Amino acid sequence: MHIPDGLITNVPSIAAAVGMWIIFIAFLAWSWKKAKATYSRSITALLAISSAFVFAAQMINFPIAFGTSGHLVGGTFLAVLLGPYAAILSMTIVLLMQAFFFADGGILAFGMNAFNMAIIGGLSFFLIKLLTRGSAGSRRFIPSVFVVSWLSVMAGALVAALEVSPAFAGGVMVTVPSMLFYHVIIGLGEGAITVVLISSLQRVQPAIMGGLTLLKEKTKL
Amino acid sequence: MKKHLAVIAAIMVFLAVFIPLASSNPDGLERVVETFGAAEHAPFWNGLMSDYAIAAIGNPYVSTLLAGVFGTFMVLLAAFLLGKAMAPKNTEALK
Repeated sequence: MHIPDGLITNVPSIAAAVGMWIIFIAFLAWSWKKAKATYSRSITALLAISSAFVFAAQMINFPIAFGTSGHLVGGTFLAVLLGPYAAILSMTIVLLMQAFFFADGGILAFGMNAFNMAIIGGLSFFLIKLLTRGSAGSRRFIPSVFVVSWLSVMAGALVAALEVSPAFAGGVMVTVPSMLFYHVIIGLGEGAITVVLISSLQRVQPAIMGGLTLLKEKTKL
Repeated sequence: MKKHLAVIAAIMVFLAVFIPLASSNPDGLERVVETFGAAEHAPFWNGLMSDYAIAAIGNPYVSTLLAGVFGTFMVLLAAFLLGKAMAPKNTEALK
């Protein structure tokens, strides 16, 4: 769902792009401040490796139906692993490299893409925390990871549909139903992959669920 | 450290195995653009390796794989520097 600059065509879409840049900068500043205050231990290695993995995983498109494909976004995955603040920063790095080196997602549209994937992805942490009462040991943990991953893709697709709507003659009446239609299925892929990743990591190295354990008492919202 | 290198190597293997299997179909947003015909203009920034391909390399597999490996290392480096900048001073690292 990376929005290219090609879709930022008229005054309403430029206004939306600028607006999303401002919102993105505000969230970025907030995550950075909170990240510095929250992490009591260095998460450098986990942050670097999980970000690199998400970049690699985003390159691999899986086919869904109707000659369409999707790929993992990884926002909820990073949020569970790193907590919300580092997840937002991590995904921002992934998107930045994609936009700068590979023109995957626009520069003008960067605020939009960062909001749809990095910020929604990072904030999905709080929904998992709510559903599991902050415990990765909860019986509801894995089902929550699935549902929230799916939901984060749907929410991102919905916002993306609104953001690109000025470029379409039919506006939101065209973009919202069609984006949600494809992302209902793409989100199932997101949920399945995220569950496989998180449950395997939990089995191999339970201590790695830093997002939930490290931050348990510190992430109040 | 050894464990970290093993995971990074595994990411490279993952790319090498899955790049040829990846679907080249349009993604959800691209499909919507194709179906309904958006007012689209040419992008003003094409990146250094547009569409995850290195123009100088003819073989599409090698080209995409190298672009992917390059991107993975750039993210690794940037996130590592971010982690260092973010880390509290004088504390042990999370294993």
